[in-house]
Formats: sequence, C-alpha cells, structure tokens
Amino acid sequence: MPLIQLEKVTKSYQLGDEKFNALDEVSLNVEKGEFLAITGPSGSGKSTLANVISGLDRVSSGRVVVNDRDLSTLSDREISRFRNRTIGFIFQSFNLKADSTALENVTLPLIFLKMSPRERKARATECLAQVGLSDRANHRPSQLSGGQRQRVAIARALAAKPAVLVADEPTGNLDSERGKEILQILQNLNDQGITLLVITHDESVASRANRVVEVRDGRVKDRRQHS
Amino acid sequence: MRWRDYLGLSLRSLRRSKSRTILTVAAIVIGATGITIMLTFVTSLKSFVVQHFTQSGQILQIQVAQGRNLSFSGFTGNNNGPTPGAKVLSAASEAKVAALPHVTSVSATFSQGGYIEYVAFGSKKLQPNIVGYQVNAVIKPQLVAGRDLVPTDRTGAVLLTQDYANAMGFKGTGAGAIGKTIYLHTNYGYSGEGATLPSALPPQHQCAQNQRNCNGGPSSGLPAINLAARVVGIVSKGYANQTIFIPLSWSIAISNQSLPRFNCNQNGCGNNTGGWVTPSVASYIASNGGYNSLVVEVDNSANVPHVATQIRQLGFGAATGLSQMKQQTNAANLIGLALGGLGLIALFIAALGVMNTMVMSVLERTREIGVMRALGARRSTIRRLFTFEALVLGFFGGVFGVLLGSLLLLFAKPILANSMKGTTLPNFTVPIWLIFVVVALTSFIGFISGVLPSRRAARLDPIEALRYE
Repeated sequence: MPLIQLEKVTKSYQLGDEKFNALDEVSLNVEKGEFLAITGPSGSGKSTLANVISGLDRVSSGRVVVNDRDLSTLSDREISRFRNRTIGFIFQSFNLKADSTALENVTLPLIFLKMSPRERKARATECLAQVGLSDRANHRPSQLSGGQRQRVAIARALAAKPAVLVADEPTGNLDSERGKEILQILQNLNDQGITLLVITHDESVASRANRVVEVRDGRVKDRRQHS
Repeated sequence: MRWRDYLGLSLRSLRRSKSRTILTVAAIVIGATGITIMLTFVTSLKSFVVQHFTQSGQILQIQVAQGRNLSFSGFTGNNNGPTPGAKVLSAASEAKVAALPHVTSVSATFSQGGYIEYVAFGSKKLQPNIVGYQVNAVIKPQLVAGRDLVPTDRTGAVLLTQDYANAMGFKGTGAGAIGKTIYLHTNYGYSGEGATLPSALPPQHQCAQNQRNCNGGPSSGLPAINLAARVVGIVSKGYANQTIFIPLSWSIAISNQSLPRFNCNQNGCGNNTGGWVTPSVASYIASNGGYNSLVVEVDNSANVPHVATQIRQLGFGAATGLSQMKQQTNAANLIGLALGGLGLIALFIAALGVMNTMVMSVLERTREIGVMRALGARRSTIRRLFTFEALVLGFFGGVFGVLLGSLLLLFAKPILANSMKGTTLPNFTVPIWLIFVVVALTSFIGFISGVLPSRRAARLDPIEALRYE
C-alpha cells in the first residue's frame, strides 16, 4: 500500500458568491522513500496539496490516507500528533524562533512529543550533527547564514524521526551554492529512506526528484517519473 | 507538553519583549503593592485591636455606669455627678452585679472631682487627672515599666501614664520615674493626713447668724498640703493619656477629706463655736452619685452580651469591651474594603494592560503559532502556552508587588514611630497568608486576562498563520 494515498480529493474555498476548487478530485499515490517534486504556477494548488497531505488542512471531499491513517477522521489532538510524528516541515523562510538557539529550535517538536529534556537535547544534537551544524548549536538564527538557518530547519524537521519531509521552496531564499548544499542534504535524507515532498518552481530542484507532478487548476498531472 | 516546558517557553517569550513585559508587570506591581499595604494595614490594625482587648482583659469586661448612653472606655470614665433619677452605683449595687451568673469579679472606679489642685515633681506642676480603681485582677493597665498596683498599695502608690512621666522630664518609656516621689497638692480645706484645720471658721466663710450648717469650702486661710506618692509603674500611652492611677480607697479618701463641713452651734458660726465634721465615706459616695463605674469581668466572652443585658435590667448602663472591639474591627474592615477596592481598581486596569500585551503578543507571533501547529502543537497547547504567559506576568507582578509593599512598610514603620513617639503602633508586618493571597490574586488576574487572547491564538488557522507577514 502506498505511504500517501489521495482519493478524489477536492478542496474548495468560498470566494464571495463563487466556489473555488483549489484541488479538484485529485488522486495521487506516493510510495515510501519516494522523492516527489510538486511543481506548478502560483495559485495552482500545489501548496494546498502539500497542506492536505501533511494534515495542516482538511479536504472538502475525498480521502487522504497517510501511513494507513485516514486524516479526515482524526481529531485535532490526533492530527497534531500525526503532524508531530509523521511529517517534518521545511519552509522557504526557515521559520525559526529568533529568541532561541539552533539547539532549542530543533528541540521544539520534541517538546510537543513530551520527551524529557535530556533525551531531546541528545536527539537535537544528533540532528544538528546530521546537517553539519554541531558547532553552531548555541547560535541564534541571527548569528547564522541563510544556508545554516535552513539546515537548522531541516534538523528540526528530522527531530521527531518523521516518515515524510514536506519542503516548501526549500531553496527559494538561498543563493545557488547554498541551495545546492541544502538539496544535497535532502537528497541524502531521501537516500536514507525518508519520503520527500518538495514544492518548487525551480527546475533544477525538480530535476533531482525521482518523480515530478504538476499541479494546474487544481488538478495533478504526472510529468516525469524515474526509477 | 510538560508544565516545565510551558514555563520555559513563556519566560523566553517574555524575555524577548523586555520593555513591554516590564511595563505590564509594573502595572500589576502597583496594584499588588497597594493591596499588600492596605490589607497589611487593616489586618495589623485588627489584630492590634483584638490583642489590646484580649491582653488587657477588656474582651471579657463590661463597664457599668449610670445612664444608658454609655460607651466603653476601659475604666477611665468620668463622673459628672448623679444623673437625676438614675440609680447610684453604690457598694450595694456592686454586690448585686457581682452576684449575677457568669460574673467572676467586679472592680469599682472613682475619679477625683477636682480636689487635687496640681501634681508636682520638682519645679514641674501638672494638671491633675486622677482615677482610682479597685485593685484586683479585673483591671490590668498595660505597663511599659515598673509594676501594677497591688492590694497592699493603700495610699502613696501611683501609676503614671507614659506621657505624664514624659511631661515630668522622664524621657522614653518614663521608666526613670519609677521609685520617685511626686506630690498631689490638695485644694484648700483638706482635712486628712495631718492637715490641721483652724478651730474657728475663717471670717470670710462665716454663715449667717441663723444658719445652722454651712460649708467650709476651699479657700485661703484653710490648709492645703502635698500628698506624697511613690511612682510604681508607667502605663502605656496607648492605654490611657495624661492620667494618674491610684488605689480606689485612696481616691475616695482624698475626695472625702476635701469636704469637711463646719457645724455651727445654735448661735450660728459667728461666735466661733461648733466644729469640723467630715462626712462618712458611704454618705459621701451617695451624695456624689456613687462610683464612676464598675468594671465587671465575665467568665467567657460568649456570656458577655447576656450579662450586659442583665445589668441593664438592673437599671444601669452597660457597655462591653467585646462590642467596642467589634466596632473597632468593623471600622477597620470598612477601611479595608474601601482601600482594597482602590487596589482592585488598580489591578483591573493592570488586567487590561495584560490583555493588551497578550493581544499584541498573539499578533506578533502569529507566524510562530503557525509553525508550532505545523510541528505538532495542539490547539490546547497554544491556548495553554499563552494563558500561562499571562499568568506568569500576573505572578511576577504579584511577587514584586508584595516585595515592594513589604519594603515600603519596612521604611514607613520607623518614620511613623518617629512621628508618633511613645504611641504603641500596630506591627505592620505582611502576614504570610497575604503574600499567597496577593500572588494568587494577581496570577488569577493574569490568567483571566490571558483567556481571550490565548483562545484567539488557539483558533488561528495554521495555514493562515504561516502566511502571516
């Protein structure tokens, strides 16, 4: 069974008197360990697609099943737990807590996991090491470069050992060199078996994926598939 | 999420906006300081009143006097002569009162009716205000030095109030006066303690030829002497002011011996015939309206109202220390309510400040809320986090408010003591329970102020929150 399964998913918004379908009967399967790039023009529905898969948004109709769990049936408590344990988020603008160190930022999802301070410090240190930032653990975001900040964000996404990483334009705020570094880290994680969903406009990013889907007018089309 | 983590995250957020946090806490501190000072003032005043009435035994006492409209004044009431138609407080009435159930003992008091012209120590001459009381366990003046009068102190022993001792030149508690001899200078016409009255009435006092009896009142030509008195104790200023306390029997004797009458013979006083007669103590007491008051002690404070009613049924006025104490504590409660109300208004304004701070905080951290939701925070986690933050503001406001209030009271105490020298002041110490009450109150106010903003934070749509710029 696929890790992520979307069955005729529709997500509608009411815009004044008109109803607008951000996703229109989308069906999509993502296998475990896949690196899926989601492309498409602005406003096409790619972020909505990522949001319903990651449990941030509820569908209007259809079914989203991730890791054998039908997200539409989950309560706020359950879906929060799902996001905490199954999904790791990486944002374009990093979204780190400015008042916290790199280590403290990485521990944040582990706090929601009710892990003990000692355990979460050990896990966060491990994650920072994984992205090559052991020496920056006690630096605040303002003391880090853009690339380093995104690496902290990746470490934070990895902290709770999620099955899926959802990255929304992860290189969008970085120069090409730093972007390549980040993509390499993501590639390595995918090689280790983590399923990767990357929303991107950037063809060079999409080219690294083993599968690319394009979202246009709320519909999804498989553009390319590697083995 | 663990409570320790809520605290950690809250403190970190508050540290981030230091100025705003300090200002918000400062507003709560003002309210908490006010409440601390006001409630400490009231509770200290109340316990001071209760302690005063309990230690002096007045809580168990009833003051009995002529007339119905009587206010409890310990035992320093004034006797302005017999009230027309009123029952005289005689030895017989004392016995009747003493026989009432639950009455353990009775002490009579008798004030000097102006027969001492002045009180002297060295060159100092002071106005006399002399009260005699029956020395037993009922009346227990609060002493700051020396000892109380004892039953063997029949004449020549006195207690001075502290201000009286100070006026005589004995500073501080007036303890320097202990053992010293002062003099009670009688008016003219005193007949006791070796005073020699003239064998004939001086011409200016002679009565008309046909008048059989005429009074020899105070006047020149008649003796006035110094009655020596040794100071044995100093009474606290808070208990009584400007008074000399002497044994009851001596007080009556001085008054009685100040009123000798010259009995003229059948031919009138013009022939210098007849002689001086001092009235009997009993007749003197009766003619002067009896004792000033009786101080009655009851076995238990619960029986005080009942005994007072019985005394009133005997035709006397009765005022209880208990009702006086209740009046004073009620007055303190009223002051407390008024002042506490002001403190609560200040805290209410501070609560609006907390609410404003929290609303701003939610707005500023909208994106952060979105991130936390994406990372697995539940709505309830966000709600608790912001409520906790508001509660922490209230908690610190309360803690610093109590500290500031305690410090202000600490500094105010010596200033008050200095400006009210010699007066026993309540001990303005913040009670432990008040510390907890104020901190709990401000924390609760913080909590309540945080409820609406935190609900708003919890209801934010994570996607909208993540898009927030």
